[in-house]
Order: sequence, then structure tokens, then C-alpha cells
Amino acid sequence: MAKTAQEKADEKAEKLYYKTHKKPGKKTVGDIVFEVINYLVFAIFTLICIFPFYYLFINTISDNELVRKGLINFFPRGIQFGNYVRLLAVNDLFSAISVTVLRTVIGTALMVAASAFVGYLVTQKEMWGRSIWYRFIVVTMYFNAGIIPWYLNMSMLGLTNNFAAYIIPGIVAPYNIILVKTYIESSIPAELEESAELDGASKMKIFLSIIWPLSKPILATIAVFGAVGQWNSFQDSLILMQSAPKLYTLQHRLYIYLNTTSNLSALMSSGNTSGISQSVLDSALNGKVIKYTISMVTIIPILCVYPFMQRYFEKGIMMGAVKG
Amino acid sequence: MVKAKISDKIYYVYRVMAILLFVVIFLPAANPAKISGMINRSISLLTSGFSYGSLVDNFGRAFRKGWVLESTMRLDNIASLLVCIGIFACAVGACLSIGNNKCKRLGNIFSTVGSVVSIISLQGIYLAYTQISLTEKPSKIEPTFPPFYFGMLIMLIIMAVVSVYELIVTFKEPKEQKFHMETKYRLFLMMMPFILLTFVFSYLPLFGWRYAFFDYKSGDVLSMENFVGFKWFTQLLKNAATRSDMIRVMKNTLGMSFLGIFTSWMPMVFAIFLSEIKNSRFRRFVQTFTTIPNFISWVLVFAIAFSIFSTDGFISSLMMNLGIWDQGKNFLMSGNHIWLKMLLWGLWKGLGWSAIIYIAGISGIDQQLYEAATVDGAGRFQRMWHVTVPGLMPTFYVLLLMSIAGILSNGMDQYLVFENSTNTTDIMVLDLYVYKMGIVNGAIPFSTAVGMLKSVVSVVLLFTANNVSKLVRGETIV
Repeated sequence: MAKTAQEKADEKAEKLYYKTHKKPGKKTVGDIVFEVINYLVFAIFTLICIFPFYYLFINTISDNELVRKGLINFFPRGIQFGNYVRLLAVNDLFSAISVTVLRTVIGTALMVAASAFVGYLVTQKEMWGRSIWYRFIVVTMYFNAGIIPWYLNMSMLGLTNNFAAYIIPGIVAPYNIILVKTYIESSIPAELEESAELDGASKMKIFLSIIWPLSKPILATIAVFGAVGQWNSFQDSLILMQSAPKLYTLQHRLYIYLNTTSNLSALMSSGNTSGISQSVLDSALNGKVIKYTISMVTIIPILCVYPFMQRYFEKGIMMGAVKG
Repeated sequence: MVKAKISDKIYYVYRVMAILLFVVIFLPAANPAKISGMINRSISLLTSGFSYGSLVDNFGRAFRKGWVLESTMRLDNIASLLVCIGIFACAVGACLSIGNNKCKRLGNIFSTVGSVVSIISLQGIYLAYTQISLTEKPSKIEPTFPPFYFGMLIMLIIMAVVSVYELIVTFKEPKEQKFHMETKYRLFLMMMPFILLTFVFSYLPLFGWRYAFFDYKSGDVLSMENFVGFKWFTQLLKNAATRSDMIRVMKNTLGMSFLGIFTSWMPMVFAIFLSEIKNSRFRRFVQTFTTIPNFISWVLVFAIAFSIFSTDGFISSLMMNLGIWDQGKNFLMSGNHIWLKMLLWGLWKGLGWSAIIYIAGISGIDQQLYEAATVDGAGRFQRMWHVTVPGLMPTFYVLLLMSIAGILSNGMDQYLVFENSTNTTDIMVLDLYVYKMGIVNGAIPFSTAVGMLKSVVSVVLLFTANNVSKLVRGETIV
């Protein structure tokens, strides 16, 4: 069976460990005490990190009556998945999910394409005023006008209460442009481009057939980060969509639900609940459970995607360490 | 020859005009489609053209009462759209004008057609104006002749004249000739859309700083009448209520930032001790699960806090089940130790993630150093202190300097979601305060002034940190 890259890396780390931690004698008592404490501390911290997710989850799949009484603490009881089905009746949740999915997909795709293209363009030394334009873009990472001028600017451009506000401002991402540029300069041999140019390929052709395929690793990384950012973003919805509740993102909706103290009926639209009587819904979904379930719906995509994306995340932070 | 020289000079006028026209369609102050006082002041020609909805935002009643015909506003809308399209054509023409003769000629055709279309469409706006000025209720509708109408017209006429001149002067190339543009210009044109986007979303907001010098309420126009100079800045110091607000906000901002800075060694320690764990599977497990919280938003962190610490959350129900408490407690609705709580949430979210960079740093340390230290009789902690820590110091310094530079920017999400009536005095950091003042309370000029001071101080801090780094380590951080 082929080993994954991760397993190989782990093996290497282990070998290194034994090489460097070779000791003349046996383990002393001090060593054992240290190790026990070390393992214990990390185990506890990890538990603190995971437990809340687990707790949320078991409370959404357990019998709602038990949940309401606060009896589900460590193990699920009376397992059912009805809460997730009943969520469909929650007012505006569907539009929030579609808006969030759409912005995540479109926003990320455009950002990645633009970062790749601009990252490639700024490596082209012949460009008229190249270093000026590059700096013009990159320097925007280090200052910003502040939230109010940003808001006024967006409303001047007609980007309030407008879905485009989620997409267009994020297209140019200076940090990602630096990452792509650095990657192209360090990992793609210049000879490749030169020979393609000698064969008469245009810049566009070179970009599409050489740069794009070869810089996939870095593009995957920025795509993952971009998607998580889009999925989690909340401020733009909060500030720009004040009179367009249909365009609220999932995070914004969740924020509103969490701050709703009243019972469920406040969250339900009268129209959508037809077929299920209000009392059934009220007993089935008390405020607490519905808040937990919506939270779970918001977390699940991240949790599902995370294991596959972890290596990209880690690569991302490492590349961030290498200055562009 | 002379003719060609003049033609080249004229091209500069041509390009400048195209750029000006292109900029003008984004400026609400110079919107020639604003034929009534009821049209929102903050919409530009582009918005009036592309979004009928925002153009007639306030017209619902006027349409119902028949004061304004819907067709009038439609005419205004479509005319604006056509003007915009014409100007886009001029812009394309200007872009083509840096190519060879054949490109230039095509560009000239574009800009000639574009400017002529724009001029004709501008008459449509005039027609809409004459229609709207016949309204029965001039006091309500406030028909106004768009102030920038003639400015726009003059610019378009110049554009048209220049385009026609160039079109006549540029000789027609034979059919076989290909379109060609020098590579350096071609690359620049490919780059241009992104330069424009950057300008519009990152530089244009700086222009909004002017609001800090005016007495502005949403919907007003800026003019010399409401120019107040440095009133909002002096108010920060002179007005007792504002001053005490600011002192409180700054105390919270700096307090929480310094707590963050004082604990910035923790990720490093986390990484060092994690690397002492031999079992790679356990190490991997810890690393995976401690980084997850970094990828959920602050809203979700609050959702988790809610599920654990609210009245019917985990802690309360557990304590009640065990019979220790009689009733649940809501930890989120208490104002005690709020700085510490925020710090702990920050650590919960970020500790594992911030450690990754140090974990990578540790694997980059020369293993011979450890061997040598062991031979010299160094124990576990001595190796950590004398080999690992010095090896990680450069990374630590960079991150420390960056966090000092960002001392005023705690971000707003975390504090916004955790804020409630009981803790609002201690949780109000600068970013949140600016948001509350500006967006929630509508004190736009004042909050712009505060935000402006913050931005300036942050940039100064960043450059100071950069220079310190350059002096001490001979390396820059930005």
C-alpha cells in the first residue's frame, strides 16, 4: 500500500526524533513524570478544543425533550435526525445558505483566477511600469481607510444591498498575488516560458498552458483559504446588506438567531410551516436546539472539508513565513 | 511628419479625456442623470444606468400619485446606461490607441461612435428633465437641472472632436496588416483591470476621509457651508463625554492588545513541548484538532460559547444534574474579567494554529546542535532553552513586531459577538467603537475622524516596527 505524504513525513520526524534524543541510559523518573504531564496537558487542551463541537452535535441528534431538560451532557440519547429536517421550516435559512454557498464558490473562483493571472503578470519584466503597479497593489495590505469610508465608498458604488459586494472587492487579493508571484519565480523554471515564447506562444497562451497547470499547488492553497474566508465572512453582510435580508450570509443569520431570545415561533415564517402545526414545532424544536442545529449546519462544511485540506492550510502558513 | 507629431500630441488629450470620462461615471457628485432632488445623492451615473431600482428608490409615492411618469424615469435610466456604454467604448478606444496604426484606427472608430452615442443619449436625460419639470408637485419632486450636465456635454464633445480628427488623420492600413501592440503595453492592458479594481476598492475609500472635516448626515452634500475643519478632532479632546469614552475605549484596546502580546510566547511553548512527544500519531492528533477552531468564524465561536456557558448550556446543566447548583448561570451575561475571557477565547481559537509556524521552525533547526548539547550533558530543559528557543527567536521577533504594529487593530468580530449590556463598557475596543458610532448611531464624520487617526497611527507603528527590525536584525518585516 502506498504511503501518503503525511505518513512519510511522520516517519521521518520519528526517525529524527530517535536520532536526536538518543540517550546514554534508561529513562529516569524525571523523564517519566515529564512525559506523563506533557501528554496529559496536550490531551486536556485537545479535548477542550474538540468537546464543544461534540457537545453541540450530540444535542442536535438527541431526543429534544431530554435536551430541553439539559440531560444530554456526554452521550447522545434517543438518536434522531429530525431537527435537521425541520430546519427547512426556519425562516430565511435557505436563502442564507444559498447566498453563502454562491459567494463561496464564485468569490473563490474569481479570486484564484485573478491571483494566478496577476501573479503571473507581475513576473513579466517587460511590462510597462511593472514595479510601480506591483507596489501599487501590494502596498494596500498595509493601510486601510477604515470601516466608515469603506462603507461610504461601497454605497457610492451602488454595492450596498447588492450580491456583487460579496464578490467584486475580493477579486484582487494582494497577499495571494505575492504568494503566486513568489511561487512562479521560485518553482517554475524560466526556461519553460522562454522556450514557449520562442515557439511563438502568446503571453495568454503561456499563462493558460504552462503557468496555470504548474502552479496548481499554490492555487489550491489560496483557494482553500479563500473559501474558508468567504464562508466565514460576516462583517460585509452586517454592514452592507442592512436593507436586504435576503442577502444575509449564513454567519449573519446565525448571529441574528443566537441573539433572538424569544421562542421558535419568532424564527418561523408562518407560510413555511403549513402542514406541521405550530405546537408540534414548538415542542420539537425549542430555541436552544434550533440554535445548536443552525450552528452545526454552519460548522459542518468546515469540519468535513478540514481533514482533506489540512495539508494546504499548513502549507499556507509556511509560505506566509517566506516573505514575498 | 508634422502632422504625425500633432496627431501624437492629440492622442494624449484623447487618452486623458477618456480617463476623465471614465472616472466621472463613478462619481455621484458629478452625476448628470440627477434630474430630481428625490434621486439618492450617493448614486453615480453608472449606478443610475445599471440599477433602475436604486435610481427610483424614493419614487414609490410619486409614481402612485402620478406626479412622475414611470416612463420619465425609465428614459433617464436608459439614457444613463447608453452614456455609460458610450464612455466604455471611448475607454476601449483609448486602450487601443497605444497599439499600431491599425489598432489606433479601430480605437478611433470605437471612440467616435461611443462619444456620439453618449452625446445623443445625454439629450435623452435632458428630455427626461423637461418631462419631470412639468410635474404638478415641484415642491415634492424638486426637479433640478443636473449640475454636471454641461460639464459632461463639453467633455463628450471634446472627445468626439478629437476622435473624429484622429480618425481622419490616421491613414487606412492595407487589409493584410495585422493588429499589433508592443508586448510591454499589452501586458499593461492585461494588468489594468486589476489596477482599477485596486484603486476603486483600496484607494478610493481614502477619499472618504474628507467626511471627517464636514458636518455630514447621511444623504447630505458636502459643501463649504457644512465644512467644520478640525471640529471632530478637537471634540475628541475637549468634549468631556467623548473624552471619557475615548479613554475607556483606548484602555480596553490597549489592555487587550497587551494581554495578547504578553501571551505571545505561548504558541512557541506549545510547539516546543509538542515536539517532545514521541508518539507521532498522538502528535498529529493534537495538531489536527487544536487547529480546527482557527477555521471557524467568531460568530461560531460565540455559538459554541453559548452552548457551553449559557443558562441552559453544558456547564449549567452538568452542575444542576450533579446537584451542585440549583439553577443555571449565564456566564456570557456577566461583565467580570471580560478582558481575560476574551484572551482565553482568542487562545482557544488561535493557539494551535499559531504554533504551526514554530513547529515548522523546530524541524528546521540543525540537529547536530542537539547532539552536541546532549554530549555536553545538557538535559531536556537545557536543550529547549539553549538550542530550540534561540532557534525560534527570529520568528518570534517578527511576529511580536507585527503584533505591536497592530496594537490598535483588535478587529471587531470577536468583540461584537460577545458584547452585551452587561459587559459593553469593558469590551468596547476601538474597531467596535467606530462601527457603533458610525454605522449604528450614524455619527459618520466623528467616526471617520476616529478611524482616520487609527489608520494613521497604525501605519506609523508599522513603519517604526519595520525600522526597529531593520536596525536590530538587519531585516525588514514588510
